[in-house]
Amino acid sequence: MIRQTDLTVNFAGIKLKNPVLTASGTFGYGHEVSDLISLSKLGGIITKTITLHPNNGNAQPRLYETDYGILNSIGLQNIGLESFIQNHLQKLYKIGVPIIVSIAGQATNEYIKIAKILSEHSIISAIELNLSCPNLQKNIICSDLSMLQSIVYNVKNVLNIPVIAKLSPLNADITKPAFIAQEAGADALTIANTYPAMAIDIDTYKPKLSTIKGGLSGPCIKPITLRCVYDVYKKSNIKIPIIGCGGISNGSDVIEFILAGATAVSIGSVSLNSPSNLITIIDETYNILKRKNISSITDLIGQIKS
Amino acid sequence: MYKRFDKNYNIISNNHVKDKYFKLNIHVGNNVIYCNPGQFFMLNLPGHILRRPFSIHDINMQDQSISFLYKVVGKGTKELSQVRKGKIKLLGPLGNGYNLNNCEQENCNNIIIAGGSGIASLYILAKKLKKTGTLYYGVRSKTDLICVDQFISLNWKVIVATEDGSIGYKGYIVDLVENLIKKNDIIFACGPHNMLIKIQQIIYKNQISGFISFEAKMGCGFGNCQSCTIVINNQLQKVCTDGPIFKICSFQHYKIK
Ligand SMILES: Cc1cc2nc3c(=O)[nH]c(=O)nc-3n(C[C@H](O)[C@H](O)[C@H](O)COP(=O)(O)OP(=O)(O)OC[C@H]3O[C@@H](n4cnc5c(N)ncnc54)[C@H](O)[C@@H]3O)c2cc1C
Ligand SMILES: Cc1cc2nc3c(=O)[nH]c(=O)nc-3n(C[C@H](O)[C@H](O)[C@H](O)COP(=O)(O)O)c2cc1C
Ligand code: FES
Repeated sequence: MIRQTDLTVNFAGIKLKNPVLTASGTFGYGHEVSDLISLSKLGGIITKTITLHPNNGNAQPRLYETDYGILNSIGLQNIGLESFIQNHLQKLYKIGVPIIVSIAGQATNEYIKIAKILSEHSIISAIELNLSCPNLQKNIICSDLSMLQSIVYNVKNVLNIPVIAKLSPLNADITKPAFIAQEAGADALTIANTYPAMAIDIDTYKPKLSTIKGGLSGPCIKPITLRCVYDVYKKSNIKIPIIGCGGISNGSDVIEFILAGATAVSIGSVSLNSPSNLITIIDETYNILKRKNISSITDLIGQIKS
Repeated sequence: MYKRFDKNYNIISNNHVKDKYFKLNIHVGNNVIYCNPGQFFMLNLPGHILRRPFSIHDINMQDQSISFLYKVVGKGTKELSQVRKGKIKLLGPLGNGYNLNNCEQENCNNIIIAGGSGIASLYILAKKLKKTGTLYYGVRSKTDLICVDQFISLNWKVIVATEDGSIGYKGYIVDLVENLIKKNDIIFACGPHNMLIKIQQIIYKNQISGFISFEAKMGCGFGNCQSCTIVINNQLQKVCTDGPIFKICSFQHYKIK
């Protein structure tokens, strides 16, 4: 019997036509490559992290490709909330896929302020809280569990759309911040961000990034982030859905993350090589399901066997 | 017209030119009409997540081909230099390029200033400019000179500076240019960052027209990653989409922070 192959997922109440989302910071404000790929094929778009005021980011160099993955220390360069709303939101809406806006603030108050302003724009499907950028001069927010709790709780209070907490993988037990985010009201989790890392030039003895340390991404982090997703999914008191994010480069990787417990995935580094890789990954995922005669991708969520 | 493509193309040749320099010639078919001086392509290298940016060195309308002149400086360029034939995936043409209709004026003198491998992108510019001019070309040593014959065959005057004095003026090319600038000169420059900072100052101080081609580490080449941001004319600019060519309107040291 030939069965239909269905890639749609219900993610925290948002209907995604497939589980593949763009990862924050690697797809600009979401519409810049509309001439290169058909953006409406994406499951959804997560924007660059937006801050209340424009942010210049860190000094050059802020990107370096190691033999194993990419190091970046962009430092959340972005045009600021007002300009984002004025210049990009409508263009994003026209694409016709769910729009998830990633936001970050200096402190709890700033997260709330941004969320309040965005709550007036009904075209946004969800907010992703970037609680895990390793490239700011301060500690990663989600290593401070009470601050994490307070940000999620207060942002959730001013919004009536889903709130996704993006966590850092750098926690001895990632289920702790995951549980706290859930209890504070988060509707979903993104697991995870980049890994603090560095590289040194052996001729000049200088670090490869101006900030010395940056965040590592790309296929090399996939097995580690996959483990993080698995840990959170299998924790019985964590019920909210997960976006798996780290090193995904093909359809098999998507399936692996889904088997480990993710409901959706977001893809960054590999889309920098070519935005068309995102479409290829969606097609590969579809073909794997078809080959396996699996009717719905949701049948695979968390189906790893012990 | 601005149009970009992400496609596999046939390699026509990839030959050693001199020392660490190679020339890659690609058949791009009809897309050749979209290629302009100052634009670049992102070249895909198997085994690397990120592509590498290279400027258009030459455009051949008849053969529907373009070429890149590149220097082997690291792993990616070394691997590229070992490719002989087959297909290569290119994304481009990218960036603004020189707006040739706007930059050349009636009574101007065209001055091209090249430092090191910066010469690569300037040959096609010289070829497309209506008038000939003078090339000021700075390299470390005599053996680093490339493309000089190509400029001479376009009837350009070539003035060379070498850091070790092995040929031409001994010292930096900018020091030589600084004293020779006239009011109706128009400068086009590409080269190492320190050289470009000085040229930016010269353009601003003399209130002349100047177009500088900047380089920065690029993650994507199409505006999505913000890795290539620099400060030009007091504004944050993405080298890949706002540039790589910038008309200099003010002087500001272009480091963030
Ligand atoms: C718009 C643009 C156009 C360019 N056009 C040309 C060209 O026509 N011919 C040419 O030879 N080179 C050109 N470059 C530089 C070229 O992209 C780099 O030399 C190349 O990416 C190095 O790759 P790699 O893997 O060999 O080096 P890596 O192993 O990545 O690095 C080796 C060395 O190269 C330097 N490097 C790496 N990336 C860049 C970069 N983007 N710009 C400058 N230096 C870099 C590093 O600092 C390091 O010292 C251009 C760069 C840009 C941004
Ligand atoms: C250049 C670059 C910029 C990034 N900027 C952001 C950002 O602004 N906000 C954020 O939450 N994550 C940011 N990230 C992290 C990615 O969203 C993603 O979590 C990480 O790269 C892991 O996925 P990948 O291996 O598929 O790239 C950035 C990553 C890269 C490479
Ligand atoms: S290289 Fe990615 S934004 Fe310029």
